[in-house]
Amino acid sequence: MIGALRRLGVLGINRRNADYTLGWNQRRLYPLVDDKLTTKRLCQEAGIPVPKLLAVAKTHRESRRLLDQLEGLPAFVLKPARGAMGNGILVLEQREGGLWRGARPYARDDFEYHAAGIISGLYSLAGHADVAMVEERLETHPALAPLRDDGVPDIRVIVYRGVPVMCMMRMPTRLSDGRANLHQGAVGIGIDLVEGRAIHAMQRARSIDQSPDTGVPIVGLLLPEFDSILRTAVSATDQTGLGYVGADVVLDARLGPVILELNARPGLAIQLANRAGLLPRLDAVDARLGPNDGPHAELTLEQRIALGRSIAARLSR
Amino acid sequence: MHRSVLLAGALLVAIGLGLFSTKTLQYGIPVAPTENLGPWQVELRISARGDGARGSVRALLPSSEGGQVIFDERSSSDRLQFSIRERADNRIGVWTGWLEDVHEVVYQFRVQSHAVTTPLPSQGPYPKPPRQLRSVWGQPSPGIPSDTPQVKELLESLRLPTSADQPARVRTLYAFVSHEIATVRSASTDALLTLARREGNGEGKERLLVTLLRGAGIPARLVHGLELREGTTPEELLWAEAWVAEAWVPMSTVHDFFETTPDDYIVLGRSNVALVEATGVSAIGHRFQSLREHLRPDEIASLLAPDNRAFAWLSLYRLPVGWQSVLRVLLLVPLGALVVAVFRNLGGITTYGTFMPVLIALALRGFPLYQGLALVGVVIAVGTLTRFALERLRLLMVPRLSLVLCFVVLAVMLFALVGQDAGLPGLFAGALLPIVILTMLIERVYITTSEEGIREALLRAFWSVLVASAIHPIFRSAHAEYLMFSFPELVIVVMGILVWIGGYMGYRITDLIRFRELAAAGAGVRAR
Repeated sequence: MIGALRRLGVLGINRRNADYTLGWNQRRLYPLVDDKLTTKRLCQEAGIPVPKLLAVAKTHRESRRLLDQLEGLPAFVLKPARGAMGNGILVLEQREGGLWRGARPYARDDFEYHAAGIISGLYSLAGHADVAMVEERLETHPALAPLRDDGVPDIRVIVYRGVPVMCMMRMPTRLSDGRANLHQGAVGIGIDLVEGRAIHAMQRARSIDQSPDTGVPIVGLLLPEFDSILRTAVSATDQTGLGYVGADVVLDARLGPVILELNARPGLAIQLANRAGLLPRLDAVDARLGPNDGPHAELTLEQRIALGRSIAARLSR
Repeated sequence: MHRSVLLAGALLVAIGLGLFSTKTLQYGIPVAPTENLGPWQVELRISARGDGARGSVRALLPSSEGGQVIFDERSSSDRLQFSIRERADNRIGVWTGWLEDVHEVVYQFRVQSHAVTTPLPSQGPYPKPPRQLRSVWGQPSPGIPSDTPQVKELLESLRLPTSADQPARVRTLYAFVSHEIATVRSASTDALLTLARREGNGEGKERLLVTLLRGAGIPARLVHGLELREGTTPEELLWAEAWVAEAWVPMSTVHDFFETTPDDYIVLGRSNVALVEATGVSAIGHRFQSLREHLRPDEIASLLAPDNRAFAWLSLYRLPVGWQSVLRVLLLVPLGALVVAVFRNLGGITTYGTFMPVLIALALRGFPLYQGLALVGVVIAVGTLTRFALERLRLLMVPRLSLVLCFVVLAVMLFALVGQDAGLPGLFAGALLPIVILTMLIERVYITTSEEGIREALLRAFWSVLVASAIHPIFRSAHAEYLMFSFPELVIVVMGILVWIGGYMGYRITDLIRFRELAAAGAGVRAR
């Protein structure tokens, strides 16, 4: 079994931590991606599209004024700036007699309490005080909308030394409660880097062919604007100086690809969704860029995307 | 694994094992405890506060006699002069000097003891006790009012056997105190009050027995001793001895023995007065600590002073008993951390908090695992329910956490009360639990439950319990404790293994489970 995984080049947690996150991501750069507000500012400065920031609350006082700033908005997302694994995110829409519709009806009190919890650090990585931020709610691209009931799918691109090496779409399901979290039952869809085509889908480690909620076939689906998705992901990671990043992109109906967040310790389930190991691709990048030449030597963004695609094409044959 | 990691780990392991094998092979230190019931190491620590006047501190010191052998005595006298005086069957340690501020004097010894029986003779005639002995131990003295009317009156009413039949007299008096006088912890220490009220505390009853024996013409005396117990501090005891036919026969109506002193009782000395006394002091206090060793005396000697001076200096056996007890536990902690590293980095499981299982295992060290885990489980379960209830009140985080903490304290208190009634002292283990850690644990269980579902929360709890259960027997193992304490260099070996684990780049068991379907697909793939 170990031999089979080795042959496939499956990356395990120990190796990822030691050789990739510890090896390529300097600790001092972590705050750039751990804090979503910083990531957002970084992207905006570089002209990379991000969801619009509507309001921010750093103190409990501010959290009570948060709703007033959101007057008249049809929908928004309340989230912790330093949350992990999608914890503490509240998606709210419409108003029905002073109530907001989310996982359950939210009154003004509930909202303020949730914001206060975020500020107290309930959802942040080490329980440190955090900032509550409110973003516009993104709209799922019409090409992807039929695949799910509710929630916004996101596209995870692993970028190693500036080269995209693997891609996966995470599709929320009823089982995952509208969250794009594989652990909770979202569908992981392996995306071929060359064309942006869905090559394989799985839910909770079980292979599937069609959406469990709507029955629409998944495998074979072609992601629209795939070039633009890859460019957005790679240029966002370029802003950080990190060498091994998971970029989360949402394909918004109006804005096109936007950066949702970046992750300095991207998970390994992407290998399951793609039915392929990361190691051969990472090794191929190293072979092309040389062993210790900074994140991405002298190649341009387009050249690196082309490199990632050719590696993926060669290795998946 | 990278070469440098492999080498660094190997270097550490080699250093540790090198020291270990030198000590065992060259200096003959055994690798396992050879004796189940080795000698005890006992420490008496006296603190005395003086006002600058000359004074002295005196304490009864044990001697080798009967079933006990005293060896390896040491004393530290903290600016005072130490001497030992031998007087009337007693050894008295005396520390003299100008008593300024607080002096802390320490007297340590090792003792090997076994029960010895000194039976009452069954056949007469019984020789009379020598005159000299009668004058010391047969007369009324302070605290032993054997010539008072009350005593005489009682002795008459008891209709004692003839004075020639001393064994029968001893039995009668022992039976009287044993059956007619109640032991009440809060009652008097005075012999006459004990007699009048028919109740006394331990000291009162033993004093009364000695008083009655002397009143009946049998030389008798009070014995100061210790009951040594594993895992707790020794208890100071008093009992009585009666001289019958050329031997001192031990007995106690409080601790229920006659002719045979129980195992692990040691004699400190005979005196009507306190074990520790002082002049020229404004305050004085003392306490005993003890530790059971699992080696033969000659092996202890080799540990204490191997021929090598560096090893002798490094020997932890020369430290005060209290420090030794702390270090014995402390040196086990790296083993616990090693188990955690194995489970997490080779196994790949997630627990609540990295070292939480170590802390829990440490806290439950003194108790059987199931008992401790049940205790922790109940606190966590009820605490989490409380936490869910608190959620409705919408409190801010720090006060809310503090409320849960108060809850944990109250729960521990309730356990103590229930444990007292149910006769389950194990329930008080709660007091040893890391309260703050339990509080944070409750918060984490709550967050995991509400964020990732009850299934994940229970799974993580299961893994935490599993790791704690793997560590717990190590923490309780006398062998592990002996090994780490006698060979602290083994910590370096643990460090080496940790370097290896830290450099292990292979799959974790959870990786294998997670990617098992990929592996099945990859089985057909040729080498890349």
